[in-house]
Amino acid sequence: MAKSIEDMRKSRRALASYDYDQAEVEKGYTGKTLYINISDNTIKSKNVTEQMKDIFIGGKGFGLWYLWNGVKPETRWNDPENEIVISSGPIGGITQYPGSGKSLVVTLSPLTNSVMDSNVGGFFGPYLKFSGWDALEIQGKAEKDIVIFIDGDKGKITIEEVDIDPTASHLVSEQLTELLAENEKDKKNISIVSSGSGGENTNIGILNFSFYDLRRKVARMKQAGRGGIGTVFRDKKIAALAVKFSNLSGRSNNPADPSKIAKTGVKITREINKFDDEQFRMRQIGTANLMTPMNDYDLLPVHNFKYGSHPDAAGLSSDTLRDRFTQNMPDGCWVGCALSCCKAVDNFELKTGPFKGEKVLVDGPEYENAAGLGANCGIFDANYVIEANFYCDTYGIDTISTGTIIAFAMECYENGIINKEITGGLELTFGNADAAMELIHQMGQGKGFGKIASQGVRRMKKIFAEEYDADPAFLQDIGMENKGLEYSQYQAKESLAQQGGYAMTNKGPQHDEAWLIFMDMVNNQLPTFEKKAEALHYFPMFRTWFGLQGLCKLPWNDIVPEGNAQTDSPEKIPEHVQNYVDIFNAVTGKKIDQDEMIRQSERVYNFQRIFNLRLGFGTREHDASPYRALGPVTEEEYESRSERYDKQLKEDLGIDPTEMSITDKIKEMRKYREGRYETLMDVVYERRGWTKNGIPKLEKIKELGIDFPEVVDVVKKNL
Amino acid sequence: MIEVNGKQVEWEEGITVEKLLKKMNYTFPKIVVRVDGKVIEKSDWEEHHIPDQSVVQAHHLIAGG
Ligand code: SF4
Repeated sequence: MAKSIEDMRKSRRALASYDYDQAEVEKGYTGKTLYINISDNTIKSKNVTEQMKDIFIGGKGFGLWYLWNGVKPETRWNDPENEIVISSGPIGGITQYPGSGKSLVVTLSPLTNSVMDSNVGGFFGPYLKFSGWDALEIQGKAEKDIVIFIDGDKGKITIEEVDIDPTASHLVSEQLTELLAENEKDKKNISIVSSGSGGENTNIGILNFSFYDLRRKVARMKQAGRGGIGTVFRDKKIAALAVKFSNLSGRSNNPADPSKIAKTGVKITREINKFDDEQFRMRQIGTANLMTPMNDYDLLPVHNFKYGSHPDAAGLSSDTLRDRFTQNMPDGCWVGCALSCCKAVDNFELKTGPFKGEKVLVDGPEYENAAGLGANCGIFDANYVIEANFYCDTYGIDTISTGTIIAFAMECYENGIINKEITGGLELTFGNADAAMELIHQMGQGKGFGKIASQGVRRMKKIFAEEYDADPAFLQDIGMENKGLEYSQYQAKESLAQQGGYAMTNKGPQHDEAWLIFMDMVNNQLPTFEKKAEALHYFPMFRTWFGLQGLCKLPWNDIVPEGNAQTDSPEKIPEHVQNYVDIFNAVTGKKIDQDEMIRQSERVYNFQRIFNLRLGFGTREHDASPYRALGPVTEEEYESRSERYDKQLKEDLGIDPTEMSITDKIKEMRKYREGRYETLMDVVYERRGWTKNGIPKLEKIKELGIDFPEVVDVVKKNL
Repeated sequence: MIEVNGKQVEWEEGITVEKLLKKMNYTFPKIVVRVDGKVIEKSDWEEHHIPDQSVVQAHHLIAGG
């Protein structure tokens, strides 16, 4: 690490530079994207075509299109031609409507070997656009660690070697912000993207996107967490990306109809001010508001998704976590976000690891961190969750995958599949916070058993079966991954629709395509296969749209407008859907309606499915679910909810369980649940316009207008 | 019997919306209750009696992930 910022400044050595005239933003687009090849230090500008805007819109759509053109079917995640593409989207960067500053990152993943996308806050995406670029496309691999600087004020890009230690992401953000800022106020004009040592040592590396908090005087970070994007970043030897843009204003995105945006923004901001405290308390607690209801409704993952609640859950309840957040005013990850769900614990004294004894700021913990690192590992201790959250972020490893990996390792340990000899002395029993913390350090630093755990659940299963004689079928049942990506933190056993929402997906079991648990399991609004399939069509398409625009999902349904209950489909929040259509039209000057909104997503969603196909995935077999997500695998699991399961055997299957052995009950239940999952797959594929093998039909891609010759080719080869 | 979110539930003499939600363990703060299609405001839950044979919807407006 450089001794001081001054040393760092002196160490800067430009390998390449590029001067450019900053393109004006016109109706949400600059019309230019930035291509950088770090193998040969090429920097060039590309034009955004009308076709790109019409079909791929922006954000994840642009990312997928560039990646498709950049890689071949045989490209793997660590080949130089793999790309990392970052793009916000046409709406991204407006400041009048909450949740409008997201960046979308797309790459080939080391976990799934297929396409990965992640939606992240922080200032990078909007500042990139206002610096003149609708997207940043990075290809190649550098020889030594580099930093890419984008100076949107001066119109200059440099690829540089800088004496900076890339292993601790919070320090990288802090130091580079300090390096680039002319004074304290100037720091808010800077955003840094970095990973950390976890990006070097694991397959679950993340990207941290910074935003400067002027009140706390610290560069805070939001995470592009899923699928190992940070691993690709560090494999390319990128230490960091930095952007500087100083002239942000409410007009920076230069929309077609600013007054419409302002009016729509005022309306929802009023709703938030009026109802948030009585609804989801996003401003007080953020997503951690879910901890208590999830436990109450038996949906909180406990002990590697065996159970849905725990008697000690109060240790991580919504209010317990709220009491730990030291902020006393709402806080957003982009300018103007009135929903302001960002939370932080200030001056938290670390008890372990390389920063032991230091007082740090910890962003979060959010629901997924508390549920995954805590409850799912049987650890109901807020201090542990906060410390684990800090280290995951600064090492640059995904908290969601980390939670699911440790929980899986714990279940394997408790079943004698692995032991102290294999774990290097770690007693990985559920609830053992010290062992879990040590494992996080090992993963982040590439040491000991951490080297195995950091490969992800799919590879752990293979290692445990091949080297430790474990039963592969049991590992398949309890290893919570699909497509190679670890499950996010919801118990889906009693919601068939959510089982599909997890596994019948493009990138794997992140819940960002569909979250249907309450609609399905509690409200019983989806009683038939057809209704579930309709939801598994509509919601993934609707939610894909956020990623095309640079939007956050939360202000869509984490605040509910007055009169929503009286609408035909309250779960869709129709008024907010119309807000989004209005804003899109007001930014771009186009005239879409709610149907066209879904079509926009459908084009990109199907394109992504075909992209998976092109890489050797994207068919029915890849949408299979581990049985743990569908039903009870073990006797203890069945017995823990035997009343529920026995009732289901009787009422749903017409079987009298009274005289049955528990083994037979589990067997019958499994046959039933797996059968339903297969039927659901048939009905969902049909609704999406796919074949029984999950491949988009030729007429579907034609109808969507994505029937480019190379796309048709891929589909034809697989039909 | 009454139907609650599509499932048959034993009717009890004097059962109100509030008591039904308790019986069902529906603790979530944002639930929209309809009895035979009519929305019952939260302020009326304590008083509102549910007749036998009613169809009740208790829709949880939970945003989730
Ligand atoms: S709701 Fe939260 S995550 Fe979404 S933009 Fe606002 S502050 Fe960021």
